[in-house]
Amino acid sequence: MPRRSRRPRTTLLILVLAAITIITLDARGGLHVVTSGVRSVAADAFAPVRSGVNAVVEPIGSFLAGSVHYGAVREQNQKLQAEIDQLKLEQTAAAQQAQSLKQLSALLNLPYLGNLQTVPAEVTDFGTSDFAATIDIDVGRSDGVELGMPVVGLGGLVGQVVSVSHHTATVRLITDGQSAVGTRYGPEPGSLAILTGTGAGKPLSADLVPSNTPLTNGEVFTTSGLQGALYPPGIPVAGVVAARTGSTASQESVSLEPLADIAHLRYVTVVLWGPSA
Amino acid sequence: MLDIRIGGVHPDILVLLPIVAGIIGGPGRGATIGFGTGLVADLFLPTPFGLSALVGCLLGFAVGLATVALDRTAWWLAPVAALGGSALYEVTYGALGSVLGQPQMLHVALARIVVVVSVTNAVLAWPAMKVMTWGMARASMEGMPTSDAGVGSAR
Repeated sequence: MPRRSRRPRTTLLILVLAAITIITLDARGGLHVVTSGVRSVAADAFAPVRSGVNAVVEPIGSFLAGSVHYGAVREQNQKLQAEIDQLKLEQTAAAQQAQSLKQLSALLNLPYLGNLQTVPAEVTDFGTSDFAATIDIDVGRSDGVELGMPVVGLGGLVGQVVSVSHHTATVRLITDGQSAVGTRYGPEPGSLAILTGTGAGKPLSADLVPSNTPLTNGEVFTTSGLQGALYPPGIPVAGVVAARTGSTASQESVSLEPLADIAHLRYVTVVLWGPSA
Repeated sequence: MLDIRIGGVHPDILVLLPIVAGIIGGPGRGATIGFGTGLVADLFLPTPFGLSALVGCLLGFAVGLATVALDRTAWWLAPVAALGGSALYEVTYGALGSVLGQPQMLHVALARIVVVVSVTNAVLAWPAMKVMTWGMARASMEGMPTSDAGVGSAR
């Protein structure tokens, strides 16, 4: 054993090769079933302790104590946290419940969803990485949520489910750089454009809008619902905030603001809809 | 719902582990711990699976190599290594992610991420050193191998 640790370069080489293998297999799909399975199991297993872990790491000062007496502190912390939550809850229960009820009942009657089946969800985390715009929600496979399902909020489209475990799911927001939404705009039947995200908190940009298209500020782009599209038709996505055409550009450069209040989501609705349905 | 952010950025304490492991245990131990913590982090991140493990083991190795000739009891070593190592980690993470087909990973507020993560980790470097020293001492008492670098420079 000591011989192995005398060769850190060999160790590094092996680990780097292992990591690259994992990344490649995951990206190519060969291992994706396994990794998404493991991720799903991990999400399920850690869901109950994640809030406890968060509670431990929150104050910088408690990091040391939290690590050394981890078990005892976590237990105590969770207990105290639960008590505090309970007290806060009781204190503001009436007002909060009224507000939640208002939001939820509004979410249950979104006009643009028609007869589509939906599941209401609460947002539990605003993104686990600074490198991607995602949210975590408190519904999962046991509630009928599947990969790829659209997620909407009060104003319009919020994103798409990109990973799902039994009781939680991760939603890629339409502001994420990997997100692309097929939309229609303008007078019926509407011209087609693709809205891509440019990062959390930044406006969306529209692709395929021909130069000198007359667009008014606030004009709404809705999902196109073309065959094979990722979203059902008619969901409002974003409103125009700025549009201009460069002198030699073949496309108009359009900035749009999502209609749903993506930075302050509390409740969302998962639409039980798949492209094949 | 707890969501800890400073200036809109998550502090990233998991980055600290390979750094202190590299200082205490040398490049081999740093790389191993960086790989392990990275793989665990990957389970919960929406970025490519294995990316944190790759960058983590490179970071642990680099820190171990850079500090192997230095006096690891020097008070400034851990905070400085945490500051530089964390910055290096976030930049490499964004750059490699971008190479691996997620170009938006370079279009984030990288400068802000680097500043927040490296400063919080520099502040937390001392406690992390204590914990890691304690953890590695226990591991060696239980018969797990410790790196020659750690043993050699300590005694």
